[in-house]
Amino acid sequence: MNKRRPYVRPMAGWWRKNPFFVEYMIHEGTALFVAAYALILLTGLVYLSRGEAAWNVWLEGLKNPWYIAFHWLALAAVSYHTYTWFKIMPRTMPPVIVGGKRLPDMAITGGGLAVATTACLALLGLVWGIAR
Amino acid sequence: MSENQRIIEIEVLRYNPETDKEPSKQVFDVPFTDDMSVLQGVQYIKDYLDGSLSFRWSCRMAICGSCGMMINGEPSLSCETFLRDYYPARVRVEALAHFPIEKDLVINMEGFIEKLESIQPYIIPKEARTLAQGEYLQTPAQLASYEQFSSCINCMLCYAACPQFGLNSDFIGPAAMALLHRYNIDSRDAGKGERMELVNSEEGVFNCTAVGYCSEVCPKHVDPANAVNQNKTNSAADYFMRFLTPKGGAK
Amino acid sequence: MESYKADVVIVGGGGAGLRAAIAVAESDPALKIALVSKVYPMRSHTVAAEGGSAGVKLPTDSLEYHFNDTVGGGDWLCEQDVVEYFVAHCNEELTQLEHWGCPWSRTPDGHVNVRAFGGMKIERTWFAADKTGFHMLHTLFQTSIKYPSIKRFDEHFCVDLVVEDGRVQGVVTIEIGSGEMALVEGRSVVIATGGAGRVFRENTNGGIVTGDGMALAYRHGVPLRDMEFVQYHPTCMPGTGLLFTEACRGEGGFLVNKDGYRYLQDYGLGPAEPSPRNKAMELGPRDRLSQAFWYEQQKGRTIEGQHGSVVHLDLRHLGEAKLRERLPQIYELAEQFLGVDPARAPIPVRPAVHYTMGGIMVDGLCASPLPGLYAAGECSSVGIHGANRLGSNSLSELCVFGKVAGEEAARFAKAAAGNSASLLKQAQAVEQRLLGLKTKTGGSERIATLRKEMAQTMEDGCGIYRLAETMQATCDKLDELKERFKDVNVEDKSSVWNTEWLLAIELEYQLDVAQSMAYSALNRRESRGAHQRLDGFEKRDDENFLKHSQAHYVAGGAPRIDYGAVKITKSQPGTRAYGAAGEKAEQERKASNV
Repeated sequence: MNKRRPYVRPMAGWWRKNPFFVEYMIHEGTALFVAAYALILLTGLVYLSRGEAAWNVWLEGLKNPWYIAFHWLALAAVSYHTYTWFKIMPRTMPPVIVGGKRLPDMAITGGGLAVATTACLALLGLVWGIAR
Repeated sequence: MSENQRIIEIEVLRYNPETDKEPSKQVFDVPFTDDMSVLQGVQYIKDYLDGSLSFRWSCRMAICGSCGMMINGEPSLSCETFLRDYYPARVRVEALAHFPIEKDLVINMEGFIEKLESIQPYIIPKEARTLAQGEYLQTPAQLASYEQFSSCINCMLCYAACPQFGLNSDFIGPAAMALLHRYNIDSRDAGKGERMELVNSEEGVFNCTAVGYCSEVCPKHVDPANAVNQNKTNSAADYFMRFLTPKGGAK
Repeated sequence: MESYKADVVIVGGGGAGLRAAIAVAESDPALKIALVSKVYPMRSHTVAAEGGSAGVKLPTDSLEYHFNDTVGGGDWLCEQDVVEYFVAHCNEELTQLEHWGCPWSRTPDGHVNVRAFGGMKIERTWFAADKTGFHMLHTLFQTSIKYPSIKRFDEHFCVDLVVEDGRVQGVVTIEIGSGEMALVEGRSVVIATGGAGRVFRENTNGGIVTGDGMALAYRHGVPLRDMEFVQYHPTCMPGTGLLFTEACRGEGGFLVNKDGYRYLQDYGLGPAEPSPRNKAMELGPRDRLSQAFWYEQQKGRTIEGQHGSVVHLDLRHLGEAKLRERLPQIYELAEQFLGVDPARAPIPVRPAVHYTMGGIMVDGLCASPLPGLYAAGECSSVGIHGANRLGSNSLSELCVFGKVAGEEAARFAKAAAGNSASLLKQAQAVEQRLLGLKTKTGGSERIATLRKEMAQTMEDGCGIYRLAETMQATCDKLDELKERFKDVNVEDKSSVWNTEWLLAIELEYQLDVAQSMAYSALNRRESRGAHQRLDGFEKRDDENFLKHSQAHYVAGGAPRIDYGAVKITKSQPGTRAYGAAGEKAEQERKASNV
């Protein structure tokens, strides 16, 4: 008679068992802020379509201290998401060969972060310029 | 024994299917020297403290892939993990996570073997060639494109690092997908079309949520996460190609 | 007891076993193949081979050169007709592996590259970085999956052969996962279980290399041939014995003593040139290099380390880039296990047991004297290695003779009559005997203690240099250990994954194999290749000992040693010399042949 009786361990709470998984869950969690902010902008667009008065009401609403606090929080979350997103990027794409040598992961992550930062600053400058 | 010998506590997760309902911890005091691996510690237990402790091992040099264990919660090859790095704390040793435990540190790896067999892990030649015609030509660059994916030693640490595999053991998983990719991108091979079905399937690449820990723990720098994620792109391309070409499927 | 009927049973899932299985499948897809292995095939010890696999490739090379290197390297104890077949088929087999996907390292134009190796006149060692065995094994294993007629019995431990009507008709196995035993019938059996290096203390071998197949054949009356020839690899990690491939030297590495002096030039291997010339200095054969280490140690010119004397393997001048490309595994081994960065510091090394030249006596077609029983790879003695194997010949051997063994076993199976009806009864008797080993109580001998004493006495008596007195002591000690084994205690009485029980069975195999080695060594009163004596038999004695030793199993006693002829076709025994002396000797041979 076969005496094998393989034991299957439970998976409950798996993400708390390893710091790497905790980091992964935070990364996934911060994606909610990306989605939330997209919603906010969308709402703004809806108000804009209803004319200047509606738009100004929406703008006023944004000045609420709670809203401003939320912006700071969202900025932190989205920055973290951006950082971890580019950190994993080399793992998700075919190797980039430059001059017969494989581009190191660091260069891809660094490059991605540099592009993201530049784009943000450019956008900020553009909006600043328009606002003045 | 030499003077620099100290005693370390090794906590082992034991399970005997014939007597135990579930696994439980047992602690052993093991004398060790600075150059001793965790594997050697576990061997000491078997040789001198408890002969019934079961585990797999062979080469002792991180190439046969037998001795994967969870060491302080991290998937590791016990032969190249050293006791000195844990002392004076206790070191905790368990069977590889996400696999059923057969006994003590021995896991059931039949599922992995079935996956490995399912990916057609052999050259499906682009052009037939006789032995008299000699070798296929393959440049060092062509070799380099797949070499890392051919370095997988089947130690399954990546499966123990993959929560998606833990939640759904049907997922083809990192190592098998790395091997599939290795053959798909070998310049001698033309089997990609045949292998895509598995990539696209329910057990395929889209189970992966890019946790990336599999590549982190890989002792041979295979980067299986890269193989899986490149094949997400391939799978998506394959999906759209079906609409564009009469026969369908990327070749 | 379960039983399974195959046509050909292959025991061992390493390079030779897998190659044999594929050969059977290709020769006749209708033949049912049972591939029995105590580990999953990719765990087999072929995986640990590093440097490469020999096969004539360059236009400047020739089969004759490979033949001469092999026969001379083996100190003329080779079967020359078999060597001739071997060298003629290496290239073809390695090309076959290339077609099956083996990632051989390449030249810039896309051809397979070759590197220099010890004792080889021309570069002819095919390599896949420094993981050649790993890549060959995985290629063979993965390719074997293509063939539906190969049924694998992974993690099934072969515990006996079933012999009836004067021929082998199957094997008895333990399914390790359940502890259940089974009869696997076949009309022919190929043994491909690898070597027996674990009978020695400091060795490069994996834990599974316990000489199982040798012992199985031996107990059924098949002689073990040339067992006294055990190869010490000169560059191994102190303590663990882990291997630093000969390719380190093939790529240009130096061996230096405590004064930083390339000491090999003092042992007939010079002159010392900036990069080692083929068949000279660091590229001399393994037996000579290990012997030179021993003398350096006697002279006090080695370095004292935690695990005994060492010399330095110096790779620094090769530079990090080349080391990472050509020797990546060596680089990591040195870093992780020793904390040494080989691009910046020399690696401490000492000789350790690496390879058993001898094995199950088979003819050039891999057939043993027991009808239906074939053997290939390190467990066999097909006759190509003689008294000392050249590095990179054994990986080629796996393929060349794995294929031969498979084809011959297939041919035999097709011609053989059906199996006898009473095999199960024999298998049940085996089961009772082995269960007895596990279930008996009151034993007082620990397995580990017996194993360690065996390994120590083998090192003491059958090391690099040997004396009658110490060899006799080893023989006596082994007799004693065999006696004490009767009182062995298996604590674990369970069925599932009872590895302690398996260790006990393996230890019994090892004791038999160790005995065949020690007694064969004691009886060879000369020095040749890896068998070197210091007690009045320092010279090679062709008159009395240009012959193969054959150890015959004697139940409950010492093995009976007799001798068989060596097949000499075109190379008469000559002076075995390397370095400048070797070149001179070769010129003289040529001159005298004209």
